[in-house]
Amino acid sequence: MTYALLIAIGWSLAIILLLCRGDPKRRRTIGLAGPAHDTRARRLLGAAIFAPGLLLALSGDSASFLIWLGSCTVGGWLLALLSNDGPAPRASAGGRRPERD
Amino acid sequence: MIHLPKDETKLMVAVHGWSGIVLGLLLYAVVFTGMAAVFAEEIGAWSAGHVERQSAFERPLDGAIQALGARTPEKYHEGVDLFEIGDHNLGVFFHHHEVKPNGQLSSRGIYYQLDRDGKIVGEQTGNAEDVFGPRNDDALSSFLVDTHVRLHVPDPWGLLLTGILGLAMLVAAISGLLIHRHLLKDIFTLRRKASPVLAERDRHSVAGTWSLPFAFLLAFTGSFFSFYGTVGVPIVAMAAFGGDQEALSEAVFGNPAKPDPRPHAIGSLDRISADAIRRTGEIPTFMAIENFGRTDALVTTYHQPGPGDIEPVTLLYNGATAMFEHEKPSIGQRPSAGGSLVAIMGPLHFGNFAGLFSKAIWFGLGFATCYVTLTGLRLWLTRRQDDLRSLAWLDRTVVVVGFGLPLALLASAAAFLVAMPLGSAVYWTPAGFLLASAAIIAAGIALPARRLERLLQIAISLLLIALPLIRLMTGGPGWPRAIEAGQPIIIAVDIALLVAGGWMLWLGKTRTARPRQTRKISLQPAE
Repeated sequence: MTYALLIAIGWSLAIILLLCRGDPKRRRTIGLAGPAHDTRARRLLGAAIFAPGLLLALSGDSASFLIWLGSCTVGGWLLALLSNDGPAPRASAGGRRPERD
Repeated sequence: MIHLPKDETKLMVAVHGWSGIVLGLLLYAVVFTGMAAVFAEEIGAWSAGHVERQSAFERPLDGAIQALGARTPEKYHEGVDLFEIGDHNLGVFFHHHEVKPNGQLSSRGIYYQLDRDGKIVGEQTGNAEDVFGPRNDDALSSFLVDTHVRLHVPDPWGLLLTGILGLAMLVAAISGLLIHRHLLKDIFTLRRKASPVLAERDRHSVAGTWSLPFAFLLAFTGSFFSFYGTVGVPIVAMAAFGGDQEALSEAVFGNPAKPDPRPHAIGSLDRISADAIRRTGEIPTFMAIENFGRTDALVTTYHQPGPGDIEPVTLLYNGATAMFEHEKPSIGQRPSAGGSLVAIMGPLHFGNFAGLFSKAIWFGLGFATCYVTLTGLRLWLTRRQDDLRSLAWLDRTVVVVGFGLPLALLASAAAFLVAMPLGSAVYWTPAGFLLASAAIIAAGIALPARRLERLLQIAISLLLIALPLIRLMTGGPGWPRAIEAGQPIIIAVDIALLVAGGWMLWLGKTRTARPRQTRKISLQPAE
């Protein structure tokens, strides 16, 4: 149980990290250069996050499923917190619209 | 995500904001103490220096219980509860059931506290509510749990209050889900260098989005526990049992059998305990004997969930012969979806279904919920910067509660560590909390909010680092002794406190080094 669970958590957190690094809005707001993920890539990665959870749920291991879900929740939040200490946004020289939702 | 019409969104924003601002600080207190209470058992072992590793249920207990049975009046043989107390010692409560004048079901009897060798070290006669108070060696963990469960408000009002706070958390989670237009799009967006409103809003919504599934789960299960005994049981008893709560309890949780009051010595409890451990792979957390010393005696053992499961296990034994009868559902006589649902409420709320691993995750979820609550309150205030002068008291209150509560809890831990060896921890643990709270409130009145916040953060950091030293100076076991006794939790808590204190100091230093953002009135939308 433990190894499968650790692999599941590691897999999902790695995908969350990938998703975070390529997130278009995050990259734009902290002024990162380079391409961001398109919608299709984000959807595929999103599905990949949940794949181990689905396997754990189908195996009937409710304890591992809950630990996996909790780890993704806390880990995802911490990754979001830690990955936003990037360089300051560049000046809106190209007439970039002001930040808003 | 969910697109509501503009008017409904406005209404939801108002519901979200006002429910948060009215109950947010109390909710924060409940969630923060709940987060700490996840590790109540470990905090208890760390603070009291418990080094015993063997459970009381793994040691011979038969002789001691037989001797207690012989000296206890027969009227209290209706039920006997066995559970662990202190450093894996045994608590035994011989009792009978009675209904109090207000209709509430209660137990009255003699509560014995036994040491490692089965000798009586404490004996109290009275109702369960009176005899099961905090003890000198568990005053800190009891204080934490009691704050979380009922905020020290007497029953049933404390439970009702925390139940209402759980519902407020549910309302905030649902309204937050409805008003957030870009739930997934913004899940990684934290504009720290944007205007204060946007920065606060991002902190709140990112943490809120990630922790949303568990916000529902923890709020629902918490409300369930609060309302279960205070509202649920009386209503069901009134509707189906003519108000007789004893009959309800017997029908739902009891073991129906033909009464046979003929005297019969209780079977070997050591055999029952060993068999239950063999069947479940888990040491009993509780053992209940019905009709002690009679032919129709029954013994029920309660266990944590087995590997891969979150449903606790309950086994039933014939008390006279010590033979295994069957696995018992939590509710009723046959397994049911409702019974399983009720049984998993505890593990889902406490996160104790897979040892330290699941507890650590639940601690993290509690921390995220505290963060959401505090950043929500700050966002509400930041949006009203124009009125900040009239809301300055609220700004200070948020700082006093937000940072003062952790500090006061740490002060109560320090008071416990000093008072426990003197035998006065039951008094000084809450007293330490109250004294620290009074000092923090006085500082809140005297100092500006931002300065107070920095001071409280430094005080928290220093106290976190000081606690392991205080523990050692007041006679707590050192690391070599803990390793020798096979009790790594003492070392783990020491390290966790030192790391948390060091991290907070570093965080405070980094923030002071950064140029401070001036607060400006923002014209940007915040949702």
